[in-house]
This record gives sequence, C-alpha cells and structure tokens, in this order.
Amino acid sequence: MKLDTSTDPQVGFRPPGSLDEASALLRYEGPLTRRQAAHLVRRAAFGATAPELDALAGLEATAAVDTVLHPTGPDADLVGYPDAASLYDPKVRNNVAEMWWLDRMLRTRRPFVEKMTLFWHGHFATSLGKVPANLMVEQIDLFRAEGLGDFRALLLAVSKNPAMLLWLDNRANAKAHPNENFAREVMELFALGLGNYREDDVKNAARAFTGWTLDKELRFVFRPEMHDDGVKTFLGKSGNFGGEDIVGIIAQQPVHQRFICRKLLEFFVYSDPEPELVEALARTYALSGYDIAQTVGTVLRSNVFFSTRAYRALPKSPIELVIGLLRFMQVEVVPKDTVAWLRRMGQDPLSPPSVKGWDGGPTWINTGSLLARFNYVNRIVKAAPPPARAGTMTAAASADLATFPAFGPDQIVRRAGGLDANRILAQIARDAVQDDVTSDVRSTIEDYLQSVGASVPQAFGPENYEDRIRGALALTLNLPSNQLN
Amino acid sequence: MPSRRIFVSQSLGIVALGAAAPAFLARAADAATLPDLASAVDPGNVLLVIQMGGGNDGLNTIVPYSDDAYHRVRPAIGISANSVLPIDGRIGLNPVMSGFDDLFKDGHLALVQGVGYPNPNRSHFEATQIWETASPDRPVSYGWLGRYLDQTVPASAQPDPARLFTAVALGDTVPTALISQRVDVPAIGTLSTYGYNAGKDPASRTATGTLYDGAKPGQSPYLSLIETTARNALHGGDLLRAKLASYTPAVTYPNDPFSQQLRVAAQIVGSNTGTRIIFVSIGSFDTHAGQRSQQDRLLGYLANGLHAFYKDLEAHQLQDRVLALTFSEFGRRVQQNASNGTDHGAAMPLFILGGKVKGGVYGDHPSLTELDNNGDLKHAIDFRAVYATIVKQWLGRDPSAIIAGTYDPVAFV
Repeated sequence: MKLDTSTDPQVGFRPPGSLDEASALLRYEGPLTRRQAAHLVRRAAFGATAPELDALAGLEATAAVDTVLHPTGPDADLVGYPDAASLYDPKVRNNVAEMWWLDRMLRTRRPFVEKMTLFWHGHFATSLGKVPANLMVEQIDLFRAEGLGDFRALLLAVSKNPAMLLWLDNRANAKAHPNENFAREVMELFALGLGNYREDDVKNAARAFTGWTLDKELRFVFRPEMHDDGVKTFLGKSGNFGGEDIVGIIAQQPVHQRFICRKLLEFFVYSDPEPELVEALARTYALSGYDIAQTVGTVLRSNVFFSTRAYRALPKSPIELVIGLLRFMQVEVVPKDTVAWLRRMGQDPLSPPSVKGWDGGPTWINTGSLLARFNYVNRIVKAAPPPARAGTMTAAASADLATFPAFGPDQIVRRAGGLDANRILAQIARDAVQDDVTSDVRSTIEDYLQSVGASVPQAFGPENYEDRIRGALALTLNLPSNQLN
Repeated sequence: MPSRRIFVSQSLGIVALGAAAPAFLARAADAATLPDLASAVDPGNVLLVIQMGGGNDGLNTIVPYSDDAYHRVRPAIGISANSVLPIDGRIGLNPVMSGFDDLFKDGHLALVQGVGYPNPNRSHFEATQIWETASPDRPVSYGWLGRYLDQTVPASAQPDPARLFTAVALGDTVPTALISQRVDVPAIGTLSTYGYNAGKDPASRTATGTLYDGAKPGQSPYLSLIETTARNALHGGDLLRAKLASYTPAVTYPNDPFSQQLRVAAQIVGSNTGTRIIFVSIGSFDTHAGQRSQQDRLLGYLANGLHAFYKDLEAHQLQDRVLALTFSEFGRRVQQNASNGTDHGAAMPLFILGGKVKGGVYGDHPSLTELDNNGDLKHAIDFRAVYATIVKQWLGRDPSAIIAGTYDPVAFV
C-alpha cells in the first residue's frame, strides 16, 4: 500500500491506515502541494511567509527540500555573540541570552540549522537555572556548529562542554569521591535510554570521566590527579577506559542507533513512530557513519514525511508557534515581551524544566498555555503599527516599528485582488493555515468579519477593513489546526 | 463560494451582512450550559504554599538574639538584641516582620525551626526540585502537590470543567511542586493574562469559542485534546474573572507584587472556585552581598502581605479554611561573607499560618556551634514530616501515597 499523501482537513488529520515499511523512507517524488510545502517548512524550519510559500509550492520535492536544507546566498546579518558586558550582568544576562537566540531563530536564512540546534537543546537539556548565561550561549553555539555532523563527535564535545560539566556536576567527579550524575544521564537521556545499562555501568563510566573538570575560568581541563586510571568494566568491555572510550562504547551499542533515530522521528515526523520505521532509519544512520545531516535529510525527503500520517500530527511547541508566527507576520525584531509569553506557554528558552528537557507532545497543551497562545497571537496580529510621521524616523522609532508585523490588511487585500470579503477570507485561510478549515469554520470567520454590533457599528468595508482583517487573521491563526505542526 | 447569509455588493466590491443571526450567537448558549466551577466540589480546606525563592537566611529571620555566637558570626549584618521582635527569651523576629509578630501573638502563626533533610543540596535548581518533589535521593517527574492532585481524581477521568481551578499557580509558570500526571494546573500571572484577552474586540472571544466548539468523533487525538482544553480554558478564564470580580477585599494590601498576588489568592479562596491548592512565589532571597537591605525588604513583604491576607480572610470569615506554608530551597551559611552577605547553606525555619493552626514554636533553634560536616546548621525536623502532616491533617489524604517514608507528625495543626 502506498502512503496516502493527500490531505483533507475534514477528516481531522491522521486518518487510519498503516505504514508501508518498504516505501516509507524512499524519496517522495513529485511536486509539492501548498500544504506539503508548508508542512516541510514547519518541521524543517520555523515556517515561512506567504510569498516564500508561493515560491516553494509546486516545486519538485527534491528541489523544495534542497531549498530549505541547503539555502544559497549569505545568511542574515546576525549577532555572532551577545554583547559581552550585558552577558555578564546578573540583572539582564539571562534575558540577553534568550533574546539573542530568538533573534537567530527569527532572522536566520539557515533555519534548518537553528531547528536542529533547538532539537539538541531539548535533547542535551541544560538550563540557565544552574548555568551562567555565557556558557549557555557557548553551548548553543556548539549545537549549531556540530549538530549536523557525526553524533559521536557531538556527544564527545558535549561531554567536555563547560555548561554540561556544570549542569550535571562532572566538574566535581574525582577519584576520591566520584559523582555519577553525568555518567548516568549520558546513557539514560543522551544515547541509550533506561534499561539498557546497569548500575555497575554507571559506576564504571563515572570512574572513567573522573578528572574531566573545569579550571578557574570555567574552561574544560583534564586533571590527571583527579582521574581514576584503574581498569573499568563497562557494557561488557574491560580496560583502563577514559571518557573518550566510554563515549565510543556507548555509540557502538545497536540500541543507541534506535534510541537516537526514534527521537529524531518523534521530533520531525510524528510522536509514535512504528518500530519498523525506527529500525529502518537506524540502518540509514549506521550506514551514514552516524551522520546527522544525512539521517535527518533522509527523513525530510521521505514518503512517510510527506504522508497524511505525518501531516499536522504534532502539537506545535511554543517556540515553533512564536517564531512561526513572527516569521509569517514578517516581524523583523522579536518583541521584548516574547520571552514572558513563551514562559506562560511552557517553553522558557534556555530553561528546560529538568534534565529530561521538555516532555513536549500533549504536555504543551493545557489551559494556561492555550490562553497564552491565543493572547500572544492577538497581541502580535492585532497590533496596528504606529502611524507614519512626516520626516525621517529616529532610530528608536524605526526599531520599534520593526517589532510590528509588515504582513497585514494591505498585503492581504493585494493578494486577494480586492476588498471583497469572500476573497479575503479565502486568502487568509490559504495563507495562514493552507485551507485546513472546515466549512463550519469558514462560516464562523465570515460571520465575524461581517458582523455589525455594539462594538462594530459599521459593516465590513473601506472604513474598517484593517481591524476586521487583522481580527479575522488572528482568529484563523488561533484555530485548532494551527496548534498542530 | 458565497456564503449562505451574505450578499455581495458588486458596486462597492465589498460584502454586507445579511439579516440572519450569526451562527455563533445560536451556539453561545452551549457555553452557558458548561457547569459552574466547583459545582461538584465541596468548599474544603485550602493550602496556600509560599515559595521564598533564592534561599532565605533563617538566622536573620528568626534571630537567636541571646546567643553570643550569633553576634560573633554576624558582626556587620547581625540584628541587635534590642531591635528584634521577641518571641521568647532566646529568639525574636526580624524587626521588619511586625505583621508576623501580631499573628504570632494572636496564636495563628507557627514557627517550625531547623527544617531540612540529610545531605543537603546547595544548588538552587536541584534543591528547589528536592523541596518541590519531596524526593531528595532521586529525581522524580511529579511534584508533591501534583501527586496529591493525582490522588484526588479517578485514573480515567476526563478534564472536568467544574474542577478547573482545584490547584492554581499564581505566576507565569506552573512550579514543579504542582506538576501532576492527570490534573491541568493553570498558571495565573494576572487576570489579564489568564483568560482570553479580547481587548476592544469582544466578537473575537465569541468567535473563538465557536471555533473550538467543533470537536467531532474520529478526530486525531491531539485535535480533541486541544479543542477540549481550549473550551475549558476559555470558559474557565471567563468564569474566573466574573467570580473574582464579586469578591471585595476587606483590607488594603501593600503595593508590592507579592502582596498583590495574595490579594488574588484571597479572592480565589472567597469566590467558590473549588480551589484546594494555591502556589505563590516571592523571589530574590539569594543575598550573597548587601544582605540586610535586600532581605529586610522581602521579609517585610512576606510578613505584612500575609498579615493583610489573614485579616482579609478574617473579615470574610474564611480564615479557618486556609493554611499557609512557607518554604525556601535552603538556608544560608552561618558566617557572614566578605560582601556583607551570606552564601548557600542548609537548614532553615518555616512559617505556618491559619485560623486552625496551633500557633507557637516547633523545634529548637539549631545550634550555631554544633554544625554539620560542611559547617552548616543541622536540621532536626525533616521537611517531609511537615508535608506529611499537612497532607494528613489538612488535606485529609493518606500521606504514604504522596510522601515516601514515614515521619512523626508535627503538631502545628
């Protein structure tokens, strides 16, 4: 059975049907529909503007995926590293680090790299709750630099990363008083999963990592005098192992390949990948030499990725929702209150709730988080930019203007080809949610656009089209379908 | 595709409204049939948990003013014997805590001294997790109050709109203590961020309600979850605002943000929302430098805010329904440091307040000379004994299903 690649909002997504293992990871061939193009940029990036999607829809799948994974041309003019003075100022440093990263996510022309960086941040969850902001920034830079290479190199770099050495206490791991925190989590959370090692393996791995610590400037240093150089027995092997050996042995476990591939599938495809699909991707991963770019590339080009099984099959994370919204609305600068809204939605960037990271999936959805999503969308979409004044704008006024959407009533009317309510509603449904609306939904939004009442004395028309269109757009972006990625 | 009810005005190129009533008005009645809050819940005891974030210095909170050792280790930041608010001949409250002094004299406030646990952790993050999960030895997924909440709902229960506010966190996030497997705990930053913010566009609220009213059988599991949760959220936000507006505080609360959150807490207690747990935080007790001014300011907010809260409850005859408990992730070092502050330490005192609380002093002040092997104050009362007492005596549940281990109850309630 070939995978169904049609999408129909009337069935509420994720129709019944089973996976065809033979074709699941083969390349999807054919031109992308607008829905499929939007699906691709939601998963592999942080969404797109309506004109960007116009350009992507209709392309052959291979060409479209190449556009997203291997963009040509220079990147945006990004801040390489936050201003050093503010990054060390206890009053502002956490916010500076968070805003620095959100700005990257919003403006980079390499959004796939940033999406992988977000994946690794959730995987190797480390928090500002215990780690200084400058080290968090450095860790994010590490994920950005090495997150698409050989997983073994990444895992080794993370094991020596100062933020991680602080976070999981390996800095205090010495022969005289071993600390098992990192040794346990490197297996349980980072590479193997619970049940795939024993307590003795934890103890022996901890011994191998003794002496991996930090100097006074919080740089990685190996201190031989703290290191236990006795023989360790670890996952069935014996020797005078050091940390490098432990990382190597962990990565050789067949269960590791399935562990990491399941996690990638859960992030990029759907939250309940079939064992056969995990197995198939694990083979790809092993053959590629643990190459993350190749493995994820296989996923993002596959039949299963473009199938209805995957379409709108994941709850949007708060960061996906927020950055997706800002990109779609053509906001250039992340508004300052965004971090507070993300916190209310349950995803404070750089502050995952525990060593396990965010649980994600259905846990993104609760009453408080949904209200925060609605209110943030309203706050961004319904904010009319300050009226233009004569003369040159001050730098401050221009920076302020950049936090407002450039997408809005005028672009929508232009795209719709006139100030016709039906056309405008159709355009909004198409641009904002790729027509993932039922006829009931369409008529409710029509009623809203047209309604005349106490607060809206006039019928929809040239006098009030701006607020009404903003309102209809906000309603559409707040639809159930747009809570799904 | 023209709609059923609209006419296109070709000359203007725009659309005018037809005569028929919009669909959302017809459906609005459905929302009204959702149950009122607490219709299924008895007005029961309420637990207010107050987190003093950052690690509060217990020695300058309950001051062992007659102990020479105290004045030796705190030459610059110590509180003089003649300025404390004396509790007895040995200990006294920080002079800014006159609100607590009143409540203590009236018998509503319990001081529990020397609280902690074995092998204390000195990391803010980890120590906070320990206090909030009541699990010092291994990390667990759910908070101690979350585990209590899980005990109160049947395993298969669907989200119940009558129980939306069984527990609330006042603030932007749900603390670990309230992370539960089965109960959705709303974080209420302000009443303007909890609840749908329609601004000048009330029609958007109505339309959003209609748009989330369409869950149909056979939809993807996430879609039904999203639609059900959104309906509860929209309904709950409206109800909460309406209910809270009907409660008028009987006192003027101090203006600081913590006291203002206590005002909301009293409104919740008095508004029949079915709430059993309220969590509120006051931060910045991490006083490594210049401790006196910082800590004194915060302790003033704490004591005087809670004094106003108690008087407000009393005026509404609600004081017997509420028990308030403070905690902090750790106390601080005995010795002041070179910056006139204190660094991370161990045991500390807790405060318990309420109409049914047996006021008084529980536990001895920890010795300043017999310290643990890290040079910190030793605990004599395990914090889990305090939690277990509250679970059993106040929330009426068997603590063994919520707090691991067995502890002697502390007789404050």
